Amino acid sequence: MRCVRVWFKKMGMSRFVSHLDLMRAMTRALRRADVPLWYTEGFNPHPYITFALPLSLGMESLCESMDMRIEGDSTNEEIFRMLKDNMPPGIEIVKVADPISDPKKISYGDFDIFFDCVDNGDDIVKLINEILSSDELIVQKLGKKGRHKVLKDINIIEFIKKYSVSSFNGRVKLNVVLPAGSATNINPSLLADEIQKRIGTNANYTLIRKQLLTENMDLFE
Amino acid sequence: MVNKEVEKILPLVQKPGRYTGGELNSIVKDKSKVDLRYAFCFPDSYEIGMSHLGIKILYSVANSRDDVWCERVFAPWTDMEQEMRSRSIPLYALESGDPLTDFDMIGFTLQYELSYTNILNMLDLAGIPVRAKDRGGLTPIIVGGGPCACNPEPIADFFDLFMLGDGEEVTGELFDLLIECKKVNTSKEEFLKRAAEIKGVYVPSLYEIEYNEDKTIKEIRAKETAPDKVTKRIISDLDSVHYPDKFVVPFIEVVHDRVVHEILRGCIRGCRFCQAGFLYRPIREKSADTINTQCRKLCESTGYDEISLSSLSTSDYSHLEELMEKLLSWTQDYKVNIALPSLRVDNFSEKLMEYLRKVRRSGLTFAPEAGTQRLRDAINKNVTEDELMNTARQAFSGGWTAVKLYFMLGLPTETYEDVAGIADLAQKVVNEFYKNPDKPKGKGVQVSISVSSFVPKPFTPFQWEAQDTMDELVSKQNHLLSSVKTRKISVSYHKVNISFLEGVVARGDRRLSDVIEYAWRHGCKFDSWDDNFLFDVWLEAFEKCNIDPLFYSSRKRDYSEILPWDHLDYGIRKEFLINESKKAYLNETTPHCKIKCAGCGTNMLNGGKCDAMCKSMV
Repeated sequence: MRCVRVWFKKMGMSRFVSHLDLMRAMTRALRRADVPLWYTEGFNPHPYITFALPLSLGMESLCESMDMRIEGDSTNEEIFRMLKDNMPPGIEIVKVADPISDPKKISYGDFDIFFDCVDNGDDIVKLINEILSSDELIVQKLGKKGRHKVLKDINIIEFIKKYSVSSFNGRVKLNVVLPAGSATNINPSLLADEIQKRIGTNANYTLIRKQLLTENMDLFE
Repeated sequence: MVNKEVEKILPLVQKPGRYTGGELNSIVKDKSKVDLRYAFCFPDSYEIGMSHLGIKILYSVANSRDDVWCERVFAPWTDMEQEMRSRSIPLYALESGDPLTDFDMIGFTLQYELSYTNILNMLDLAGIPVRAKDRGGLTPIIVGGGPCACNPEPIADFFDLFMLGDGEEVTGELFDLLIECKKVNTSKEEFLKRAAEIKGVYVPSLYEIEYNEDKTIKEIRAKETAPDKVTKRIISDLDSVHYPDKFVVPFIEVVHDRVVHEILRGCIRGCRFCQAGFLYRPIREKSADTINTQCRKLCESTGYDEISLSSLSTSDYSHLEELMEKLLSWTQDYKVNIALPSLRVDNFSEKLMEYLRKVRRSGLTFAPEAGTQRLRDAINKNVTEDELMNTARQAFSGGWTAVKLYFMLGLPTETYEDVAGIADLAQKVVNEFYKNPDKPKGKGVQVSISVSSFVPKPFTPFQWEAQDTMDELVSKQNHLLSSVKTRKISVSYHKVNISFLEGVVARGDRRLSDVIEYAWRHGCKFDSWDDNFLFDVWLEAFEKCNIDPLFYSSRKRDYSEILPWDHLDYGIRKEFLINESKKAYLNETTPHCKIKCAGCGTNMLNGGKCDAMCKSMV
């Protein structure tokens, strides 16, 4: 038995597949692919699968990873070939590799936020730069107080590790690095919602997670 | 694929995975290369509809043709509907994202009476007039099928036609006719006239109903060339009929998310309250080999880890042991569980329990249906108390500590003694647990009894009965609760007003269409969901339309009365039903079909053949 890390993209309509549903979809895909899975030895045998960091519903991603335990001596390349044609639509296997980093070490996420805009892209770029260069941008985050869930005010500016804004083809792209992981996690939609409100348009936005980073800003791999 | 407008609202609604389409094994074709587009609609939520076997079978049957593209449509949940209406997004089909108005034929599966308002709502969401007479052109043709098509009269005014009985073949014949009519651009009237010539197709607009002064039916008259009686279709050989080798695998969790296999059609038992037991006759069994091969293919194409062997009474399947041996030869390695729903207490064997234990130990549910032997005889349940106790003993010594029992309240001839009998019977099951010398230590027993309210249905021996009023049902429920003396027995029961409405619609006639439309126009939808059920609006609808619901539910009919479904022929002889009804009042049972043919007449639909008959008899 050994552990492999499967890297995949979750794009398009598959972004509306929730984390729990993804677990189920992946388990079925693995069964269809006839991957030599290792099953737990308890009363109700099931494959052992974990995801590095759950992705919010509605967000696309280029950097999803899933760890699983396999039996036998198939190589990573063989596992890749078994998997690649058996994925549900929208999910694309990128590679199969040995795990290097510990998922507990994930500290940051690198995100692109795309705002649809019409013709005033440069104005919006300027506006976003103004907003983000100020000292304070208060947003409400769902947090815990004891056992209860409460809305907390946080200054999201304090959490932004770095950002850049650009515009092209009627879209504005905000690239931002925010805390992600089990210690602190800031959902980029908090920032996106607030900016959307401030720029005063109903411009829809889409979110994509590009990379996960460790504490020292090294790539999670 | 859904369009940009829909994509924008998806982040705003609960469980958007219901509305995206693009699931594994869903079928996408080039619409310019097909002659007919068929939208198959399930008038309830995605989670319910995607659990339904019929839609999987017919989706696959239709799409096996190159000239047809069949897509799925479900009722959007209320939050999604609101977003769609506020942005004028019409109801669309999941595979193409195209609005229903682009389709040639729109089919609704009629599974239960309380889904009717959803049908109107879905048509309206698509911008299609709900009444058939307000739809002029040839297409889209609105069709219906499924168990409730046996009395489609309450919704007859909304549909162009209904298909009676098994749908696998007749759907294709309708496709052929519609494709032909589209080519030469015939009128809708002409198409319907020709459709009525297909066996199993009922075109309601070709029948005129005349009423007596006392509101009962005087005459049902077929117009022009329409047949006096429309006979349901059956599939003669289940082994050779198309069965899907792929199921669409939903992303989100649905109610029954597994491989389902129909191992037999029909039921040998003849329980007098059970509509399905009569509607799906004659008995036709599938061979163990076919089932085994098809199950394996389905597991491979879906990745599911559970197979459910489904039928009206799974333990009555003649080759169950052979089938289980075949399946277990590969499912254990493949880590696939086998679920056996619909088991009976009178043939629950040691061996069967062994099989069940090899796979995941699931709950055990049995349906004695009534609390006393007298009433069980009257409804022809043919289960004795001894058999139930034997089964309970076996289950308890096999390690089970929880048993679920199904009952009905409001059955014809029921007394309060029979109601208290339910509690007694459950108590005896509890006692049986404590009699077991090797019962698991430190564990108690839990007997759950679930009681539903009896609704008289067409094509059953009880089709002439008066349904208990809501007051009577509530008082019986209370009597049952006060008869239960221990916390080891838990009782759950249904809302009586939902059963009452079901009772009205089940045996209703065409005059109910106004009531259904009124209720829908005033906010009724998803009526079978307790939270959405607006009983007051329904009562208002009856009042405004000047219709007394009790006329339909709580009136005992005479055997000679013309019933709203008398022009529909499900192969069951009326004399047989009358005879069964009389025997109920004498507490006389009828042996099941394998012991002795009861002469229901449905074998005539299959050239005299019925799989319940012993081979030597044929």
